[in-house]
Amino acid sequence: MSTHDGPILTAHRAGLVGCRSCGRVWPEGEAICQRCGAELLPPDRRCLNAVWAWLVAGFIFYIPANMFPMLKTSTLGGIKGSSESTILGGVVDLMHYGNYGVAAIVFIASIIVPIAKFVSISWLALVAGRPATVSAAHKRLHLYEVVEFIGRWSMIDVFVVAILSALVQLGFVASIHPGPAAVSFALSVAFTMLSAQSFDPRLIWRGLPLRSRKD
Amino acid sequence: MTDRPSPTQSDNTPLKPADPARKPAARPVRPGLPLIWLVPILALIVTLGVGWNMIASRGTLISVAFKDATGITPGETALKFREITVGKVESVRFTDDLQQVLVNMRVDKDLAPFIDKEAQFWIVRPQVSAQGISRLDTVLTGAFIEGFWDDKPDDPQTRFQGLDKPPLTSFGEKGTWIVLSAERSRGMTEGAPVMFRGLPVGQMQNLRLSETDESVLADVFIAAPHDKRLTTNTVFWDTSGFSVSLGAQGLSLNVNSLASVLQGGAEFATLTSGGRPVEDGHVFTLQTDQATAQANKLAEDDSTALRVLMRVGESVKGLDKGANVQFMGLTVGHVSNLAARIITDDQGREHVEQEVTLVINPTRLGLSEDAPHEDALDFLARQVQAGLRARVASAGFFGTSLQVELVSLSEAAPAELDRSGEPYPIIPSVPGDISDFSETAQGFLARVGDLPIEEALKSATDMMNSITAIASSEDTRAIPAALRGTLEDAQAAAGEIRQVTTELRESGAVGQVRRMVDEAAAAAEAVKLAAADVPAMVDQIDAAAAKIEAVDFAAIGNEAEGILRDVRALLGTEDAEQLPKNLSETLQAASGLLNDLRDGNAAGSLNTALASASTAAQDVSDAAKRLPQLSARLEALAARADAVMAAYGERSSFNNETINLMREMRRAANAFGSLARTIERNPQAFILGR
Repeated sequence: MSTHDGPILTAHRAGLVGCRSCGRVWPEGEAICQRCGAELLPPDRRCLNAVWAWLVAGFIFYIPANMFPMLKTSTLGGIKGSSESTILGGVVDLMHYGNYGVAAIVFIASIIVPIAKFVSISWLALVAGRPATVSAAHKRLHLYEVVEFIGRWSMIDVFVVAILSALVQLGFVASIHPGPAAVSFALSVAFTMLSAQSFDPRLIWRGLPLRSRKD
Repeated sequence: MTDRPSPTQSDNTPLKPADPARKPAARPVRPGLPLIWLVPILALIVTLGVGWNMIASRGTLISVAFKDATGITPGETALKFREITVGKVESVRFTDDLQQVLVNMRVDKDLAPFIDKEAQFWIVRPQVSAQGISRLDTVLTGAFIEGFWDDKPDDPQTRFQGLDKPPLTSFGEKGTWIVLSAERSRGMTEGAPVMFRGLPVGQMQNLRLSETDESVLADVFIAAPHDKRLTTNTVFWDTSGFSVSLGAQGLSLNVNSLASVLQGGAEFATLTSGGRPVEDGHVFTLQTDQATAQANKLAEDDSTALRVLMRVGESVKGLDKGANVQFMGLTVGHVSNLAARIITDDQGREHVEQEVTLVINPTRLGLSEDAPHEDALDFLARQVQAGLRARVASAGFFGTSLQVELVSLSEAAPAELDRSGEPYPIIPSVPGDISDFSETAQGFLARVGDLPIEEALKSATDMMNSITAIASSEDTRAIPAALRGTLEDAQAAAGEIRQVTTELRESGAVGQVRRMVDEAAAAAEAVKLAAADVPAMVDQIDAAAAKIEAVDFAAIGNEAEGILRDVRALLGTEDAEQLPKNLSETLQAASGLLNDLRDGNAAGSLNTALASASTAAQDVSDAAKRLPQLSARLEALAARADAVMAAYGERSSFNNETINLMREMRRAANAFGSLARTIERNPQAFILGR
């Protein structure tokens, strides 16, 4: 695919609009996909508003998610200390105890991935519709797919907290409660996923060379 | 979902499918900027709100300086007010000079205004003391910081100095603060209980040396309502450890509660009524024991006390300050001062006399409490006219200590109460009745030892020998001259015996022995309680005493006289001629003579007399033989008594036992202490084992 360096025909250029639900293309001007009944929306840079909005919301929630404790663990009624660890604190703790693997997983899933997502989505949103070569467009598409795929896995942290909270309720001996960061983190992940979904990948192809009709 | 146009198209003619039902392309009204951007705005508001809420509800930061931060964990240790968590330790750091630890705490906003300069903070840890274990809950929950402040909002402060230990009066408890003063800190420890009739009603704290004198001071808080028991007449005494007292009732060991043995403590009682209620800060003197406290209570009533002087020419060794003044066996006062004074008598000669100041409580003399001193002096003056004299007398078990007695002596030389005496009226005194026990016993023994018993016996033997000689001599038949000689000899012997008898009688030996024996018996009775091995000795003394008592010295004299009388009568009878030979036989083999003479009346008498004399002599000799033994035993008794006395002060075995016991207790207390420390330092260790 990357060999395509020349002008390529996109649906837009062909005067068609693709259905985002089933992939069927319709001529421009159609409002409803006749096949699946979904609304046909032409790619529109205005959808980037939603992308940005969700992204900003996600980012806003990502801040408390890192500042507030994720887990509140209390052992032996708090004698052995009730720890309230933030995500990063947890990673540091894990490393301190030598669990480098787990620390790496937590670090990647909870820190690197969300941040990478923020960066990727904002970059995609920034460059959407800008001139690009075909291979660059393909790269963006790949990036987008990776982001969309990996987005849900960021919830792994939230799931761990949820499961731990549900399982480790041993009363006096040990108990784990989700901290405020868990909610924030879940919201942050959800918003970034929404942000990624709001992004219309068709916009990637907008800035391709051979601008003959539009742009 | 990107549509890929499959064929390459050279032109941009759109591929048109079959004409479907077309709808006018209504320009879709996308939710534009305003709506979708509500989401991040909302998110921002929520986040900011949460953050703001967190910051706002963080409360006021106060910092309290403690000596150390044992058991304090930042982020966990709670600050409690009336056992309710009102804050949390946020961080711990050192003061700039590294001398203290600053504990920074967030306090609930609502309470912050009340935390003013009177607020107190202390660290609550489990405490293991002799009185028990307290705050064991902190073993589980970990140490926490407790604070107390009043309910009046006042200029809030953020920097406080923490207390080293919980204050005795928590939560504005009502009661009275008093100060206990003592010469030594014996019985005073931090937190030592102060009891009333054995019930703890207060605690000591803040032990310190007085700045103005040599005494040790302790603050004592007597909680309401017990503080009503305190009046200015209240006395405090030390109940720590145990007391051993040897008195007329025997040896008594008084051990209070284990807590008081380990920790000390004081007890108080209000012995006399009429005291005024005490104010905060009233200073009481801590007396060494209850008896002293009660005795000194009399002394403390200086306002009504009457002071008189007595002058003593003899040694007053053993008379101490505080010695009792007794009147008819009642303690009516005490000796308050002893001083030597040079007295110039009428002839201008100087001699030194002891001047003893007596403090007499007139109420004890039967005078009313309000009676002025003049009345008391009048009373004393009247008594002195009637023969009342002061004298130093021995007191106590063995008379080792002295006291002052006011005694009525009818035969005393007339004297007056010298009211002009300086600084106090002088009460006439008579030489003391000091009977040093050992001295008495030794003197008595010496006198017994000096008794010419052997001489008397020798004289008697001599007399008998003379009689024998007379009888056996040819001259006997020509009696008169020899008889007269014999009689003279006999009379001389009789005189000597009488002399002995008189001497014995004069010396009052029997009475003295009996008295001493009584004393010894009393002593023995008392000592019996003291030591297990004493009774045997006492029995022996009793036996010896019984033996001594059996010696009827007067009877010896009487019997001897009887002998002489009988001899004289015998010599007057017709059978006298036969007598000498028989007598000689008698003296060599008494039985034969006795058999021969049994029929005769006079002979019977003589027999009886001789038997008596023989028995008496035997008894006396026995007694004499036993006397050294008795003396030894008495000495041993005295030594034992000394040892018992020494047990008070020196390292006797009893004392050693006591010291060992105390050492054991101290070790136990130390173990307790280290356990307590461990628990205090690291409460969790109690549970977690590390």
